[in-house]
Amino acid sequence: MDKIDTDSDWNYDFYNQLIKDVKENRNIIQCISCGKCVGDCPATKISNFNIRKIIRKVLRGDKSVLSDSDIWYCFLCERCKRVCPKKGINIPLLIINLRNESFKKGFGPKYNDLRKYVEMSERFLTSGVVVEESLEDKLPQERIDELNEICNFARIKYVFKASETATHRSRNNKKKKSNKLI
Amino acid sequence: MEIDNLSLDLTEIEKEYPENPLDFFKDKKLCLFKACLEKYFPEVRWGIQDLLETLDLDVSTCTNQNCCSGTFFQRNLITRAQFSAINERNLNEINQQADILLFSCNGCYNSLMRGRDFLKDNEVREKTQKILNRLKKKSPGEHYQGKYEILLNPKLRLIHDLDFLYLIKNDVLKLLKYDLKGLKVAVHYGCHYLNLERDKRKIEGYISNKTKLDEFVTLFGGVSVDYSEKEACCGWGASQLVIHPNDALKITRNKLKSAESVGADFLVMPCPTCLYTLSKPEFRKQINHLYKENYDIPTIHINELIAILRGCEEKRCMEIRKNDARFNEIYKIITQD
Repeated sequence: MDKIDTDSDWNYDFYNQLIKDVKENRNIIQCISCGKCVGDCPATKISNFNIRKIIRKVLRGDKSVLSDSDIWYCFLCERCKRVCPKKGINIPLLIINLRNESFKKGFGPKYNDLRKYVEMSERFLTSGVVVEESLEDKLPQERIDELNEICNFARIKYVFKASETATHRSRNNKKKKSNKLI
Repeated sequence: MEIDNLSLDLTEIEKEYPENPLDFFKDKKLCLFKACLEKYFPEVRWGIQDLLETLDLDVSTCTNQNCCSGTFFQRNLITRAQFSAINERNLNEINQQADILLFSCNGCYNSLMRGRDFLKDNEVREKTQKILNRLKKKSPGEHYQGKYEILLNPKLRLIHDLDFLYLIKNDVLKLLKYDLKGLKVAVHYGCHYLNLERDKRKIEGYISNKTKLDEFVTLFGGVSVDYSEKEACCGWGASQLVIHPNDALKITRNKLKSAESVGADFLVMPCPTCLYTLSKPEFRKQINHLYKENYDIPTIHINELIAILRGCEEKRCMEIRKNDARFNEIYKIITQD
């Protein structure tokens, strides 16, 4: 059972920092800890992810949520948003906001080590789709250039660079092998 | 500045065209949003395209449309403004050629709606417009008016395939050659259809049960079975199957187990991403490896199911049917005497 909160347990610095980035997150202060969001949450079924506890930690200024692996288990299924009795609490957006802060601190999964993400990012920035190729027409080059311009300075660019590095490494290995053969 | 999510007002159509809602679409230009995952399930696209052409509707796809980018936003690889800019460029291109945009994928539908929602925030809207201005500056030559502007009150409206099909259900039923012969069907709506309610002021919208798929099963002559995991996620969970594969597979396994335990003959859904998760042989094998349990319940998208029930003989539909065991099984059950 959670311990009883006292005034000294609340520290809104972290909360204020989050709403500076995503204003909509100011609504989490309305949370009444009813636990409806936890009830049918798929992430709660397979991990320690507990959105009620995460919201309380944020409102207490406890930044350990950023280094905990819990926030990376959210399915972003939006069920919590649907069942929440309060209007305007957008939990999936809070999670995305927290993950962003977590990334800034150097936590979270290394997407450029995940082959699937490297491939998807590469495909998106070179063909505009996430699968090997689209069902029909290819996206015109002008639109692909636009996508790259839109995504400037985004993390997807760094993940994409990992694919270029991998290709470069594989080419070098092939070259080394062929040199040996000579 | 009034930004709306562009969803088509279904109640208005039902009110204006109580006898035949299809009439509303007769003089409209329809466009199908190309979901990436349709690559693996082409009949999800061909099924609805062929149906719309049979109903003499003007239907197309947009060459200039790219992926909705939802997967990258959900994994913090792009910002809200970048996500909204990608969406606005897609919407603007499609707005040039169509009045109605249809979605076969819950994820794409949710992305486009979410992108519009973000624009209600002044800061995100300004950042999005800045990105679009940058594109405009870099774009050589002439372009159509408003190409790099956020869409304000466009003619374009968005609708999910399931809502569209339900609206014109009487016309769909008239085209059916086969029925479900009392087969037991487990319906799966998928999270981003089931939980998509952005306006809690309309209380009936967010607490009422979603029943359109169940009703379709009954109208097709089948029995929609109740099962404990009916409203549960398929397991994809915004790439949880990539990040935490073994954990996420538990959710997929629970869903399949629950549907099989009530004797369902197959699972029907309105989303190719859910279909991918619930049908991929590799995932089924992994479940077998992890739980020593075997699940072989077939799965199908509502667009594919309607194509079978219509007895669609289009070459592009038939080719796929021949090559896909998952599809073939349901096809045989429905069409055999």
